[in-house]
Amino acid sequence: MLRVFTVTIVVLIAIVALTGLGIVAVRLVRQARQRKRALLAAGPRRALLAFVADNGADGGHDLVALPDEAWQAAEAGALGLLGKLRGEAHAALVSVFLRRGTARAALRDLRSRSRVRRARAAQVLGDLEVRLAVPELCRLLTDRHGEVRVVAVRALGRIGDPTAAWRLIASLDQSDPLPSLLVTHTLAQLGPETEVTLSAALDHPEARVRAVCLDALGLLGAAGSVHRVARVLREDSTLDVRIAAAANLGRLGARTAIEPLTGAVGPGRPAPLRAAAARALGDLGTSAGVPALVALLGDDEYRVAHEAAHALRRLGRPGLDALRSVLDTEAAEMIAAGRGTHARPSSAAGHALEALSLASVGPDPGASPPGSGTLDELVAG
Amino acid sequence: MSTILLVEDDPDIRHVVSYKLTRGGFRVVEATDGLAALREAQDSHPDLVILDVRMPLMSGLEVCRELRARPWTATVPIIMLTGRAQQEDIDQAYAAGATDYVVKPFSPRELQHRVESALHEVDG
Repeated sequence: MLRVFTVTIVVLIAIVALTGLGIVAVRLVRQARQRKRALLAAGPRRALLAFVADNGADGGHDLVALPDEAWQAAEAGALGLLGKLRGEAHAALVSVFLRRGTARAALRDLRSRSRVRRARAAQVLGDLEVRLAVPELCRLLTDRHGEVRVVAVRALGRIGDPTAAWRLIASLDQSDPLPSLLVTHTLAQLGPETEVTLSAALDHPEARVRAVCLDALGLLGAAGSVHRVARVLREDSTLDVRIAAAANLGRLGARTAIEPLTGAVGPGRPAPLRAAAARALGDLGTSAGVPALVALLGDDEYRVAHEAAHALRRLGRPGLDALRSVLDTEAAEMIAAGRGTHARPSSAAGHALEALSLASVGPDPGASPPGSGTLDELVAG
Repeated sequence: MSTILLVEDDPDIRHVVSYKLTRGGFRVVEATDGLAALREAQDSHPDLVILDVRMPLMSGLEVCRELRARPWTATVPIIMLTGRAQQEDIDQAYAAGATDYVVKPFSPRELQHRVESALHEVDG
């Protein structure tokens, strides 16, 4: 019995010792490999950085002629550099990658069974801005792994080919959709040529798709779509989409947006929509929205009045003058009624006071210090 | 020969910028974090500072404010080199005392032009 026990203990100790030795050996081999790789990469990396700093003036042939082992050691670092540079330096680096066949290999890897390889390949093709890869990257928008889809979207944005717009929009309408904000920014990266596609997608049956397209139009500053967005503001069946339409009309900054927005702040509309429209009138940056906003300062809905006051503040001088005028009028009425200016201000004057107080500490151009925030001091000032 | 203090924690960007400026006829002194930058600024009396925003130990904005508060670097041009491109970030950089702002990804050639322009304005 004792002998069996002793043998078992010895065997266990041997297993533990061998496992420990195995771990140490693996680590040593890995470190040695890393050192060798770093040594191999050092020369090409220096040459590559010098080549980039010179905007590819010379040294390109040497980099293309590097042995595969040395190039592979430096490739990961060089790929990282792609995202940090632009202009001639970026173009020079891209040319080296293309001549070394990196894009061809990445195109092959887009169909790899490994999701890591597919994602890495998509990233490389995006960084290299390979337009030829757009159809294959669009195919990855329906990849079963979310991480691969996200990398594919980013790559498409980086390449900036407007033909990808429809596929991106369609990718929003699937059971496990991509993040809206990511798709919005990517659609905007595709450039003004996507405006037609985005406008057409405002008829999409999915509300989320319509909202993303509205945001993308706003980011693009697609002033030609004002009438189309205004129609969504008036007619869309989903409140959130109408709110997105109001917000983006403000971003588009066109005078033609004033009429639909002043219509949207009118009574009878849902309060969140009226508040968004009031805010958008401030974003438009034109004094033509001032009368509608002043009329909203006494609104029963706190959010609407609040947004109107701050929209006037953001309009600069004409908005601030209108806010002061509201206070002056109220002070004059109080004095005429024999109540003095110590009386509690009305809701409209309260919102005007708050906005003017913020203007005095904010960076708004044209804002002059209105005083400490009481009706008394403002009137006196 | 003008001395440029290059403060950047990314070794690749540091190498590219340093190589470019050295070839352009400048003397380049490097620092990899904010504290080292302040030490180098005191020792090497740079004619211009290129400053990354996101760095270990001290942010570029803190370094910028500190440089502006010191008499020997109060008027030295400071170019921020950063991946943060929001208007708010740009405003913060100028409020901290930056002279110019270059967003990553950047063009080394454009950065060199900005350096020359900033130094030219000081000389002018």
